Amino acid sequence: MRSSEKKQVEESKKAASNGAVVSDINGVPSVPDSAREDISNATSESEDEDWHNSSSDNDGDSSSISDNTDESSDEDDEDTKAINEAMLDYMGALEERRQREALGSEEEEPRSARTEVESDSSEDEVPSRNTIGNVPLHWYKDEQHIGYDLAGKKIKKKEKQDQIDSFLAHTDGSKSWRRKIYDEYNDEEVELTKEEVDMIRRIRAGRIPHAEVNAYEPYVDWFDWDGKGHPLSNAPEPKRRFIPSKWEAKKVVKLVRAIRNGWIKLDKPKEKPKFYLLWGDDLKATEKTANGLTYIPPPKPKLPGHEESYNPPVEYIPTQEEINSYALMYEEDRPKFIPQGFQSLRQVPAYSEFIKERFERCLDLYLCPRSRKKRIDIDPESLIPKLPKPKDLQPFPNICYLEYHGHTGPVVSIAVDPSGMWLASGSMDQTVRLWEVQTARCCRVWSLDGPVRHIAWNPRKDLGILAISLQSKVLLLDLELGTSDPDEVSKLLALNPSVMDNDGDGALVTWMKHENLKALEVKHSQEVLSITWHHKGDYFTSVAPDANTRAVLVHQLSKQQTQNPFRKLQGRVVTAMFHPSRPFLFVATKMHVRVYNLVKQQLSKKLMTGLHEITSMAIHSKGDNLIVGSKEGKICWFDMDLSTQPYKTIKNHHEDIQAVAFHTAYPLFASCADDSTVHVFHGMVYNDLLQNPLIVPLKILHGHSKTGGRGILDCCFHSNQPWLFSAGADSVIKLFCD
Amino acid sequence: MAKERKKLKKKEGNAAKYTTRNKALNRLQIKLPEFRRLCILKGIHPREPKKKFEGSHKTYYHVKDINFLAHEPLLETGRALKVYKKKIKKAQAKKNWSLVTRLEANKPSYSLDHLVKERYPSFIDALRDLDDPLTMLHLFATFPAEASYKIPAETVNNCRRLSLEWQAYVARTHCLRKTFISVKGIYYQADVAGQKITWLTPHVLSQVVPNDIDIRVMLTFVEFYETLVGFVNFKLYHSLGLKYPPILDSKLEAEAAELYAVMRDLGKEAHEASEKEKDSNDFNSLSDTDTNHAQEPVNTESRLAESRARLASLQDRLSKMAKPEGNEKLLGVTDDDENMEEDENEDDDTRQCKALFKDLKFFLGREVPRESLLLLIRAFGGVASWAGDNAPFEESDEDITHQIVDRPTQGHIFLSREYVQPQWVYDCVNNRLLLPTIDYLLGRVPPPHLSPFVDNEKEGYVPEYAETLKRLQTAKEGKVLPLPGEEGSKDTEQFLESVVANRTESMEELRKTQKQAILEKTYQEELTKEIAGIPFSGSIQTMDRDEVDGEHVVEKEAYSHPETMDEEPPSAIAKAMMPRKARKLYAAMQIGKQKKQAEIDLLKERKRKSERKQNKKVAPEIEFQHTFESRCKASG
Repeated sequence: MRSSEKKQVEESKKAASNGAVVSDINGVPSVPDSAREDISNATSESEDEDWHNSSSDNDGDSSSISDNTDESSDEDDEDTKAINEAMLDYMGALEERRQREALGSEEEEPRSARTEVESDSSEDEVPSRNTIGNVPLHWYKDEQHIGYDLAGKKIKKKEKQDQIDSFLAHTDGSKSWRRKIYDEYNDEEVELTKEEVDMIRRIRAGRIPHAEVNAYEPYVDWFDWDGKGHPLSNAPEPKRRFIPSKWEAKKVVKLVRAIRNGWIKLDKPKEKPKFYLLWGDDLKATEKTANGLTYIPPPKPKLPGHEESYNPPVEYIPTQEEINSYALMYEEDRPKFIPQGFQSLRQVPAYSEFIKERFERCLDLYLCPRSRKKRIDIDPESLIPKLPKPKDLQPFPNICYLEYHGHTGPVVSIAVDPSGMWLASGSMDQTVRLWEVQTARCCRVWSLDGPVRHIAWNPRKDLGILAISLQSKVLLLDLELGTSDPDEVSKLLALNPSVMDNDGDGALVTWMKHENLKALEVKHSQEVLSITWHHKGDYFTSVAPDANTRAVLVHQLSKQQTQNPFRKLQGRVVTAMFHPSRPFLFVATKMHVRVYNLVKQQLSKKLMTGLHEITSMAIHSKGDNLIVGSKEGKICWFDMDLSTQPYKTIKNHHEDIQAVAFHTAYPLFASCADDSTVHVFHGMVYNDLLQNPLIVPLKILHGHSKTGGRGILDCCFHSNQPWLFSAGADSVIKLFCD
Repeated sequence: MAKERKKLKKKEGNAAKYTTRNKALNRLQIKLPEFRRLCILKGIHPREPKKKFEGSHKTYYHVKDINFLAHEPLLETGRALKVYKKKIKKAQAKKNWSLVTRLEANKPSYSLDHLVKERYPSFIDALRDLDDPLTMLHLFATFPAEASYKIPAETVNNCRRLSLEWQAYVARTHCLRKTFISVKGIYYQADVAGQKITWLTPHVLSQVVPNDIDIRVMLTFVEFYETLVGFVNFKLYHSLGLKYPPILDSKLEAEAAELYAVMRDLGKEAHEASEKEKDSNDFNSLSDTDTNHAQEPVNTESRLAESRARLASLQDRLSKMAKPEGNEKLLGVTDDDENMEEDENEDDDTRQCKALFKDLKFFLGREVPRESLLLLIRAFGGVASWAGDNAPFEESDEDITHQIVDRPTQGHIFLSREYVQPQWVYDCVNNRLLLPTIDYLLGRVPPPHLSPFVDNEKEGYVPEYAETLKRLQTAKEGKVLPLPGEEGSKDTEQFLESVVANRTESMEELRKTQKQAILEKTYQEELTKEIAGIPFSGSIQTMDRDEVDGEHVVEKEAYSHPETMDEEPPSAIAKAMMPRKARKLYAAMQIGKQKKQAEIDLLKERKRKSERKQNKKVAPEIEFQHTFESRCKASG
């Protein structure tokens, strides 16, 4: 590797030397490599120096230059030796070259050293005598001449001086030999002038060749400095400097536009007063906001009460136990503010929740939906309807006037004789009693073989017949009152023989004679719960709810016949009633009341009560109004002319209504219930069809005591006085008079 | 087709009227915080649609509200500010400082004036909603201007200034009506242009801003409230013929700067000197108006105090700032003017308020809430000074009638004045009468402080002290008030006498009215009978019977009373006739009533217990007295 590297270096050196030769051909002074390098270094150094001097200080450089020149003159003698050596080198180099050329590099033409030396200046070049051109001189080695002159004559070689002559010539004393150089090309001795030698020396020393050229002349500053920076270039002002800039023009236009449009404000804006008179003098509150919606002002926070005081009355401060009990409460039930008492104002601390409360208020203000809610700020008493005073609607049963004692079981049903003299009552103690109304005397007692369910007095005054429902039997009892016509009664109650014949398996009921009493017995298949008479006293209905399709039966007393008007019944029948004047039958089932036209034998109306379970029903004496009592303690008043919906629903009782009753003569009706009260109402029905009935509650009658979970089981009005009878589960009957 | 149908779908109904919040955000092209800020400033709140068509968990806004927001200039300003911030940030990142300074000089600004006018088209509207702004400003005025809370010092100062201006107006027009020291702070209620404005000021103690609140929301509110209250103050001052703002702008600014300096560093004396000069001027005029005779010594004294004192508390200076405004000396309105002013349009209430503390001179101790008391005393026509520098008069002033102290003992006691606790002032103000000071004297536990905002009769429970106060009030109405300078014990004696006298009078009156009522009742009955068409003869009979009975009528009625009680009240019967809706409402109301009654019962129970306790405590004392007396007797 190393050997190869060395070879490469040598080759490169050779190439360099060749290059030097090539440069010679191109007219660069053919100074040997080393010398030329020196010169170039020197010049470069001097150039550097020059640069430095000119940049640093302009004044000092001239002196330094002069110093240099002085030095050179002083050291002239010392230098001569060096020059000689240089000259010799120079000559030796020439010799070598000639030899090399002679050896055979034919392409190189021989050139005179002189031309070589003075090659850089064309004007002082003396045309050489020889015209052979740059050809190797060894071609003329054996010739008598060395070439031809301009005229074409041979230039003869001179006689060679021998060594001694030349030495003598050297030692001649004249110093000029030193400056003599032999020109092989022209075959002559050339004597260099002193200036030329000097020049060579200068070149070798790396200085400017011509002594007269002062490299460090004082600097002439042609540039106008004032107001200008460092001149970077001496270039003349370009044209563009004198033409207005397009871009600047654009910028100006922009600015002008900005100023015109007010984007840039040159003057400082006037200080406007921060506050001014915003509102006029009108003191009218506006309801609408600017966007046309109604303004909903934020609700004002609640004003503090006594409990918020720093020193509240003692009763407002909760005790420790109470405060402890708050911990057991639900969080939302817990009081948010616990009152505290302080002995004096200076002890009051900062309220820690203040900022939080304000913050929450802020949140309420902008996050809570606002809506106007109608707050009912009314006196609750004003909700109670204003009714005519009961005082003005007298007479009505008001005070308990008489009590009828005698029954030993709950009195289930009572009925008043159409003349108003007698009262009949049936009880669970299996007796029916007859009372004199005015004296409360029990006239008669009938002991029967079962608890009485219902009794109903025949509406005919001249017949003293009472219908009694005894389990599955209906008894038609002759009461044997003095007022009745005994013949007719006995005729009616005598068993019709045709009935006997009719008796068969398919019969609805069985008519038979009662064994002990003067009574007719109508035997049903199921338990009879209610009996009602037709107003003429011939027909009556019996309701036995469990008897499915035979639940409602219509009986005719005079013919002792029984009909089943319905083939099918909807729901469990509670009670059935005749219209007081027209041939209609009202049948109350659990939730509805159906009105049947008996002539057409079809359903004429279905009254929707809206009740859960009907317990009782009563019909106004004119037949157009109907009341229905229910288990949830409600009474429905139906006006048949108005609609099938109740005209009025009154919730007055807390417990099951047991019975409702209309007065036949007075505008009164009543309801009794298990809460052992009787409610008496004024129920005025007007002849004018346009006027709705007037219903006014009049009185709540107390007096009965609750027995076995039941209160008052039946009530009925006196037939011609405004009196009310009530039969209680406490086996007492009470008469309420006005 | 589908599109058309869709459009038709949205033309009416809830879906056309309301939008959800997120839809509104999309429509306005803003982010939620910006939207909230706009809502606060613009006063837009969510609404409840009848049907929440997008679900019940969403917030609904009225479409009109949102459209209104979309045309708000502030929306553009907001965007400009956003862009501006971005520009500055960018310039800073590029270290383009010249651009930064230029941008900072051209910050887009906005004002909320138009919003005030828009939200409150008339002045009354603004007054109506002034409760929250005032409370908020008073709160912010007490905030520390600390960087950690991110509350700009400027805001705090501005709030302070505005609230003081408001207080000055209230004090000057004597429109303060009620006040109440609660645990939360001090409530005030003023009557301005017929509007009752209630505001709450915190106790003057340092506030700690909790971490779980968003102060930016509050600051946005405050931003609007500042503008609103500024305009309201302007209008109010304008109505009095005063210049607003009351102090020249430059002065005010200096003041604010000074305040800030005081907060941070109490040792700026140069400022102080100029400040004090101004103050002393103020006080000259103050003393002019207040104490004509004691003018000279006060002046000299106050000057002496000035020269001595170097550092005055912030409150002092502010109260001075406020009070002079009330006094008008800045505008050169003299005392005579004040007496003459608006005598015509003053109502009785104002006159009464103005005269309450007339001719009274108060001195406030160091430990009492000075600002509050100064406001009260001045609003009710009194004169006050305080312990501290630059006070209008000294503690040693002989004319002081009341010294307000809140400490267990007092070192030097002037016999010429009464030492009362601050609550006395508040109670006097609420009851519009100078209460006997005996209960409020130094070192005693004052009687309970009652809220003036409660209607005791309506509430159903009257605290004991309220009854006492009412008696005193009736006594005052009946009699000329004793002179305020007299001794407390004498006062009470007089009061008691008057009370007794009044009682006998009232008893007589009661009897009279009862008789009259009975006569009237019979007459009414007759009339109704006549109307009802009942023959006169029957009624005559009853009348005759009544007349025969004579005195018995009352007795009979009284006798019959239990009977009627026993009977069903007519309302109970009528209840049956109520429709279901009314019946249920009635039942609900009864529940509310019962709750209230339960509360009242609880109060009564507690009262009884505490009384029993007190009696137990008192009992041994009585025994001791007995023994003491017996011993005296024995020795005697």
